[in-house]
Amino acid sequence: MSRRVFLGMSGGVDSSVSALLLKEQGYDVTGIYMKNWSEDLPGMKCPWAEDLADAKRVAVGLDLDFEVWDFEQDYKDAVVDYMLSEFRTGRTPNPDVVCNELIKFKLFYERALAHGADSIATGHYARTGRSTGGEPELLRAVDENKDQTYFLYRMSDESLAKTIFPLGEFKKPEVKALARERGLDVAGKKESMGVCFVGEVGMKEFLSRYIETKPGEIREQESNAVLGHHDGAIFYTLGQRHGMYLGGGLPYYVVGKDLERNIVYVSKNLNHPGLWANELELTDLHWRAGFNAEKVANSTNLMVRLRHRASLIPVTVMRDSRPIDESQGLGSLDGSRDFGSRSGSVRLRFAEPIRRPAPGQSAVLYGDLVCLGGGICN
Amino acid sequence: MIYLDHAAATPLTSRTLEAMTPYFRERFFNPSAPYLPAKRVREAYEAAKTDLARIIGAKGVDMIMTSGATESIQLAFTAARGKVLVAATEHAAVLEAARSRKHDLIAVDANGVIDLDDLHQKISDEVELISISLANNELGTIQPLSEVAELIREIREDRRARGVKSPLFLHSDASQAMSLIDINVSRLGVDLLTINAAKVGGPKGVGALYVGRGIELKPLQRGGGQERGLRGGTENVPGVIGFTVAAQEVKSHLNSNRKKYQEMASILKRELAHTLIISQMGEKVKILGDSRRQLANFVPICFTGVDAERLIYKLEQQEIYLSTGAACAANKGTKSHVLAAIGLGDEEIMGSLRISLGSTNTAEQMPIVAGALARAVAEELHRTHKIKEAHE
Repeated sequence: MSRRVFLGMSGGVDSSVSALLLKEQGYDVTGIYMKNWSEDLPGMKCPWAEDLADAKRVAVGLDLDFEVWDFEQDYKDAVVDYMLSEFRTGRTPNPDVVCNELIKFKLFYERALAHGADSIATGHYARTGRSTGGEPELLRAVDENKDQTYFLYRMSDESLAKTIFPLGEFKKPEVKALARERGLDVAGKKESMGVCFVGEVGMKEFLSRYIETKPGEIREQESNAVLGHHDGAIFYTLGQRHGMYLGGGLPYYVVGKDLERNIVYVSKNLNHPGLWANELELTDLHWRAGFNAEKVANSTNLMVRLRHRASLIPVTVMRDSRPIDESQGLGSLDGSRDFGSRSGSVRLRFAEPIRRPAPGQSAVLYGDLVCLGGGICN
Repeated sequence: MIYLDHAAATPLTSRTLEAMTPYFRERFFNPSAPYLPAKRVREAYEAAKTDLARIIGAKGVDMIMTSGATESIQLAFTAARGKVLVAATEHAAVLEAARSRKHDLIAVDANGVIDLDDLHQKISDEVELISISLANNELGTIQPLSEVAELIREIREDRRARGVKSPLFLHSDASQAMSLIDINVSRLGVDLLTINAAKVGGPKGVGALYVGRGIELKPLQRGGGQERGLRGGTENVPGVIGFTVAAQEVKSHLNSNRKKYQEMASILKRELAHTLIISQMGEKVKILGDSRRQLANFVPICFTGVDAERLIYKLEQQEIYLSTGAACAANKGTKSHVLAAIGLGDEEIMGSLRISLGSTNTAEQMPIVAGALARAVAEELHRTHKIKEAHE
């Protein structure tokens, strides 16, 4: 009897081609559409109904079983609430990281196993392997430009051991070509960007429905002169360049925020220290199987990725003996903010200054192809 | 291609397209412009409106041209300030118009026919508008409108006698019915009637509202005073001309079309029953509605325990196109309120398909459709049976 795989199908080209590949490899595939949180807001259209229809059409075309699993409440509790609470404190969170950790590779994984699955699969660009010690490894995808391990570093080792990433060895153009070749209707579909539930109106309008904001001053950091006004400091991300129409000349960059006084500080100086860092503090660490802060700190040839699709940067990791800051933490399913993988903090040191990532973003560490883990930038 | 979703959209007839084309090009003028060629366009437009009105037994002046049935319905509802009553099986356009004000739903029986006693009971003095479609868009059920009109006349009389001032109007959405029923507003006894070009072989985005004399409406969009000031905006001249030509064509073929569709529907039902009985799936299939009170081109079918959406995707691979009930409902991923209103359970609703025949169909297609459907149903039953076995 063939192995049973439950595949997350979103209606996009990646998960559709994954379905095709798994089926051809002889797996007994069940397609699952995960319904995440989508609130009907005026002018905000989450295209999930069309996506669901696309996913189902592909599944039926391949003669797969197909089900819709509702994770709306879980998604709201774990991902949306986390995102909002991070923004409230002036940080810039990455909801996809949390969604993978707590929804796809936890709830979906657990439910699939309970339904008799031997493995789960998703259309992520990533690969799996086994270390010499037999631990499950998360490996970067063949397509460097699409590699999604940045979003996956917090998935559990347990789920990784039972996960198939059918696209890990493919390049995106090959996936698209395959979809066209096999006549998958989704071949020409526009790629979804950003967070689904935010829809087409964008993050700012979404946030302003949930977080009360007040207009405040935009000041030039160096002169403390008021250059203009903003309609909410939380909308501004450190390092951000656009969104401030302060007349002509050189662009301004956000170099700091004072949430208490509701002031956004900007500078024209691209060399402003607020934009650059030689060192970064990482908290809410999550280490993959076989790694911990000590082991990683003792490793050489480490690389870090500070944004999805950003190039890998050589880095040195130093252990930090300072106590854990209890006020920080990613979301969780039951509303409490404590969950297993958090363990202290480390410092990243760079040979040359790097553009400082916004607080709340993830930094993910690699030893060659292997993802070692990562944490949240402070 | 075999197209079985004429209740959703119909192809433009060649005559319609030909009649419309000049008004996009050489006769493109704004009918309100002051020079002679524009005046000719105005005349053509008004003549088309008059001809369209005549088809439903009305006068051109009684017609407000709109962007489609949805707009016509919203406009019709402005006649009422008080409570409205609508059938539980109405199209979303009617239900949503009702939901924005005080309203109640009229119950229907297992075939989707409104319950006249329930209606009677619910017409309190505060009710000012009753909206019941001439034929339902999912089941094709034809409603006893003349009886409703009779009831309304009695109630009006009674209100007058008691000195109750509130008006009582009857609106009907006849979009779905127009291609098969000879519509006459006085015979039906309606005060307001919605029709839609897209369902009769005309262009999309064109509709009309018949408005009986003495009924005051509020414009939804104001502008240059077009359509008696009730609908501002430059007239859709090609659209209205297309609507009229298509409606005339449909009207002249009402009887022959009805016979044609009846014949096709009975072949389809017979072939389907035959194939399913041979393969011992006879108890799984149910034709919905009562064919004596149904538009001749409607064949709503329910395959209990089968996921109808999967059937749609399977048949689409063979270029056979059909749908589950109303397109809007399907897209929102919600189950059909019409099928729930006639008392179907979730499994039956999930397994329901709407076949609506039309001008593109031939009798020869029917055995092909029946065969493809029966095969798809058999495959699906086999698949779900396998899942059950795996779980046991």
